[in-house]
Amino acid sequence: MSDLARVRSEQQGPLFVVCVEGEVDLSNALEMASAIEGAMPDDATELVVDLTDTAYLDSSGVGLLVRLAERLRHRRRRLQLVVPAGSPIRVALELCGIPQIVPMATRLEELRPEAEPGWSSPGSGASVGREEPGR
Amino acid sequence: MQATAEESRSAGTTASRLLRRAGTALLVAAAYYLTARLGLRLALVAENVTPVWPATGIALVAFLVLGRTVWPGVALAAFLVNLPISTDALAAGATAVGNTLAPLVAAILLQRAGLRREIDRLRDAVAIVFLGALASMLISATIGAGTLVLSDAVPAREFPAAWAVWWAGDAMGVLVVAPFLLSLLLPRERPASWPRRIEASVLFGALIAVSFAAASTGLGILFLVLPFLGWAAWRFQLRGAAPAALLAAGIASWAAADRVGPFEHGTLLDRMLTLQAFNATVAFSSLFFAAVVTDRMRARRALERAAAELEDRVRLRTSELSAAHEQLAEAQHVAHVGSWEWLIPENRVSWSDEMYRIHGYRPQEFPVTFEKAIELVVDEDMARIRRNVEAAFDRGRDQDLPGNEYRIVLADGSERVLLGKARLQVGPGGKPLRMVGTVHDTTEEKQAEREHRIAETLQRSLLPDRLPEIPGVALSARYVPATTDMEVGGDWYDVVQLPNGHVGLAIGDVAGHGLRAASTMGQLRMSLRAYALEEDSPAAVVRRVHGLVNRLHLPEIVTLVYVVFDPDSGAIRFANAGHPPPLLIAPNGEARYLEDALAPPVGAVIEEHYVDGTANLASGSTLVLFTDGLVERRGISIAEGLARLVDEAANGTNDLEAFCDRVLASLVGNQVADDIALLAVRPVPLTVALHLRVAAEPHVLASLRRTIRRWLREMNVEPESANDTLIACGEALANVIQHAYGAGDGAIELDLTLADGSVDVTVRDHGRWRPPSGAEGGRGLDLARGLMDRVEVDPGPHGTVVRMRRRVRA
Repeated sequence: MSDLARVRSEQQGPLFVVCVEGEVDLSNALEMASAIEGAMPDDATELVVDLTDTAYLDSSGVGLLVRLAERLRHRRRRLQLVVPAGSPIRVALELCGIPQIVPMATRLEELRPEAEPGWSSPGSGASVGREEPGR
Repeated sequence: MQATAEESRSAGTTASRLLRRAGTALLVAAAYYLTARLGLRLALVAENVTPVWPATGIALVAFLVLGRTVWPGVALAAFLVNLPISTDALAAGATAVGNTLAPLVAAILLQRAGLRREIDRLRDAVAIVFLGALASMLISATIGAGTLVLSDAVPAREFPAAWAVWWAGDAMGVLVVAPFLLSLLLPRERPASWPRRIEASVLFGALIAVSFAAASTGLGILFLVLPFLGWAAWRFQLRGAAPAALLAAGIASWAAADRVGPFEHGTLLDRMLTLQAFNATVAFSSLFFAAVVTDRMRARRALERAAAELEDRVRLRTSELSAAHEQLAEAQHVAHVGSWEWLIPENRVSWSDEMYRIHGYRPQEFPVTFEKAIELVVDEDMARIRRNVEAAFDRGRDQDLPGNEYRIVLADGSERVLLGKARLQVGPGGKPLRMVGTVHDTTEEKQAEREHRIAETLQRSLLPDRLPEIPGVALSARYVPATTDMEVGGDWYDVVQLPNGHVGLAIGDVAGHGLRAASTMGQLRMSLRAYALEEDSPAAVVRRVHGLVNRLHLPEIVTLVYVVFDPDSGAIRFANAGHPPPLLIAPNGEARYLEDALAPPVGAVIEEHYVDGTANLASGSTLVLFTDGLVERRGISIAEGLARLVDEAANGTNDLEAFCDRVLASLVGNQVADDIALLAVRPVPLTVALHLRVAAEPHVLASLRRTIRRWLREMNVEPESANDTLIACGEALANVIQHAYGAGDGAIELDLTLADGSVDVTVRDHGRWRPPSGAEGGRGLDLARGLMDRVEVDPGPHGTVVRMRRRVRA
């Protein structure tokens, strides 16, 4: 495994949090995808990918998050992201319309296990994704 | 006083010389007188005409041997002899004048004619007979006989007889006595052998007996002495012939004077004629015969000498030739060169010994023909040889054939590579006559050449083709092979770009030279590269190389230093396995060796002790890695070499290439005893126009990003613009990596420049543009468009160029 990025995970109350530390690009996106999914226990329904310590994330990383969110939604599991306000990767996620697909908070503490209004329907998330075809 | 002494001395010398000359003259006079008296006892006409006048012979020999100055002695004796028998003193004086003048003239003529006293040439014999005897004696005969007539000692009518006897007597004196006396003066020979002495005694006994017998019978058998004269002349030459002639003539003269035997009857003139004829025959025969035999013998001796000399020279040449031949054979043996000659009409080939050996035979084991000569040649080469020979025949002139490398297979199945050279000689009409040539067995050279080539190839594979271009890192390396050794060495260096953007720098030395050291080196270099990609710590990398060396049981001692350099921070970590320590040179030229983290050479001991040392390579500093060849030279200790390298560092390192050249020039010079590897590295500021060219592979992205970040930082681009630019670059690069080359390999070129407040990015590939497909396909470039002020994609037949621009606040 390349030392470009690594994954750390823990259960925090109702949320299962996977932290991605390092950089995600074309060279390790697939690897990271399976690492993140592999870290998630089957019985966890509220999942968080914490990108606080992710220094770089390119479009293949964005793609990985989009695909991950879709797969989890099919299994009735919910994915949320944590991206700090000053994070260098925030601009890429916003430009790709990720906040419209996956709930995105600036801090882990802001997230709640309960579905918030407008976020609950898996179908709506997918439709948002379709309406915003990668600017 | 002095003058007087000299005068008296010279006067004394002159006097003694005169005295000696007078003494000699007196001795000659005495001899002349005695022999003249003897001759007069045989006087036939009056009292003073005698058929034998040996005195003339004595006078002639005296003039020839002692010089003409003895004439007064001769004149005096002649006068004294003639005085009592002449009518008066005047007549005696006249006769004496004639008697002196005749031998004097004879001596002068003979000397003019170049007479040799040995009378060993025909011309000497002729000169004595005709000039010395017959011609010169006309003088004495004419004067003597004339005087007799004028002084009325004989009547005028007897003049012819008196003249004839006088002439004959004087001539006999010259012919018989002079050669005898001259023969006595011959240089001494070595003592004669007994058989020769006996032969001489028998000869002379027989001669005397026959002479007396012939002279005392009335039968005219005087000629019987001739065979004995011939015998004497043939066997003893002048030494025998002259005394024999004297004897024979003497006995005949006695007989003539005493009127016995053949001389019993007839007038005085008749007897004189007979005697003269006989004596002349005797003298001629013996003189001529002796001269001819001597001549022949001399010629034979000269011939023998020449022959012997020739034989010696031939022997010498032969031994020289055989030595040269031996030397040639040895030289051929040493050089593995054989020579051959082909006599084409006879189809006979002669091979030198070495030719046989090259072909696996014993020297001269069998006779060779052309067919036999090329019998062992492998088929395809044989066809070429035949073609070459036929082509040469067709050209029909003297020519060198093209040099030809061919292979033969010996009886034992081994193969040899030969290099043949040949020359054709043709006869009239271009007919091929003879071909000569050499064959050089190059099997071993070829083998060595092949090994050397392999080693060289290996060596090349050991050293990087070129150093990687790492932005912000200046690298310079040198490899100098030993000049004293044609073999390739065991030094190597390497630069590895690590995935995390660090740079791995390795230098090592495998003890030994040649194929083996080179191959060990190759294995180690490649394994180190592999370990370097897997292990972060230099000590861990060296530990794994150590493990490999132990597992492979490599017998060579291997030393190496491995350094990991982080261009971003300037941090270096290193591990040293028994190698000369790296030199760290500060920007001000102060230098120190990194002597910690030193452990034994890899594979030297079972346990490993490798640890990481650390240091900082700040901007403007230089790190120098090298092998011991640089600091270790004959006559210079390593410590001194290390000190000199430090001194050289003080002279500046700004231009790394120039620094390496200077170090080599000052520490090494022209004679390189051991291979030298040298690797220098220093961080340098990035340029405003940054150009990167990398392989289009996913793993380069991270290190490219590191460089881009560093460049943006050094260009003072504010963080937000820098981040946007970084992501846009990443997308453009990833796009090339993902699409441009399909499954093939290719390159990406990235150019970053800062101008007029804008960052310009150009990403170029040499592959095929593929339009984005699917929802995710275009996401990368869309992202870039969102981040940058301008994004242009220019797909061309030879590759795609993506140009991007963003205003920045610097």
